[in-house]
Amino acid sequence: MSTYVYGIAAGSHPALPDGMEGVGDPARPVRILREGELAAIVSDAPDGLRPKRRDLVAHQNVLAEAGAAGCVLPMRFGSVAPDDASVTGVLAERAAHYQERLRALDGKVEYNIKASHIEEAVLHHVMAEDPEIRALAEANRKAGGGTYEQKLRLGEMVAAAVKQKETGDADAVLQLLEPAGDAASVGPESTGWLVNVSYLVGRDSAEQFLAAVEQARKDLPHLELRVHGPLPPYSFVEPGPTGPADAATAGSTAGAGVGAEE
Amino acid sequence: MTVVPAQQTGSGGGSSGLYDVLELVLDRGLVIDAFVRVSLVGIEILKIDVRVVVASVDTYLRFAEACNRLDLESGPRKSPGLPDVVGQITESGARGKSKGALSGAAQTISDAFKQARDEGSPEPESKGRSRRTTTARRKDDDE
Repeated sequence: MSTYVYGIAAGSHPALPDGMEGVGDPARPVRILREGELAAIVSDAPDGLRPKRRDLVAHQNVLAEAGAAGCVLPMRFGSVAPDDASVTGVLAERAAHYQERLRALDGKVEYNIKASHIEEAVLHHVMAEDPEIRALAEANRKAGGGTYEQKLRLGEMVAAAVKQKETGDADAVLQLLEPAGDAASVGPESTGWLVNVSYLVGRDSAEQFLAAVEQARKDLPHLELRVHGPLPPYSFVEPGPTGPADAATAGSTAGAGVGAEE
Repeated sequence: MTVVPAQQTGSGGGSSGLYDVLELVLDRGLVIDAFVRVSLVGIEILKIDVRVVVASVDTYLRFAEACNRLDLESGPRKSPGLPDVVGQITESGARGKSKGALSGAAQTISDAFKQARDEGSPEPESKGRSRRTTTARRKDDDE
């Protein structure tokens, strides 16, 4: 039976989510594996596990529950070990590294910020700032919408202007929030947001961080800022800004055991 | 001022804000090379929300329509209402999000944008990117 791994915590963690419902349907109960001064939060891995909604939620909930009481290094979703022994084997092998990470992240949580434009507002900005676009829009309106070519030309100009604003606004968000977090990790771009950034924030300073976000909302009213947190420190489990992502997707089989990412 | 009610709590239902958090759960977090990772083939939820700024004829036309209908006299934003918007975003995962994000916009143009989102098909590259292994650096490939 292979073993699904949720995260790694100190053995002294005050409240590991033993017995909580994990991934799978029916949900596999969460178990704790101990090795030296470390503990792994695991469950049996259901056959044919896929990234279904309920499994993603289960993964997230187990980590949130565990993270509420003490530091947990969250695994990326879908990490499956051949068996319990290989989990404890990795804990033993990399104990110093995980302990260092647990110490470094102790008392800290991740807040993820995603920002996107409020379309109407940004269109107003674009129209207000660019007389050519304004004139073109006005001409089209008077012509009852304009010809296909005219519409295309206007739309293309607007799209370019919006794109440019995205870049500028992304920088503005980063600048406003940068002082509020202990560390930042800019996430991948996607079509759902113009900026995606996570901050490492001390639990004690969460209030100040959220106040900074609130201020950013006021300063940039044409943006929608979505805040998620406190979260397990997904973006800060590895020491550097980059994770060992390539090794993961290459599906490298066992072997070294110790990551080459350092 | 209230803080966005999108926090993940241990006892919460969990679906709140899942869409935005998914990207973290799936793309970040600790990876141990001795472990196998579940195949993420078929996970497209990350890419459902097609931003309006996809350079395509369709987008251009939508933008032109939106500009035509834009009431310049009404000011940049009549009502901030951000917390409400965020609350709605988390209603029901990805679909809820793409609709919720629009609810802050005026009714006059929301239809156009909604259609743009619904009809705009994800770029072929976005499939690969949903699983792409990324560094924490911003990439320039979003053109």
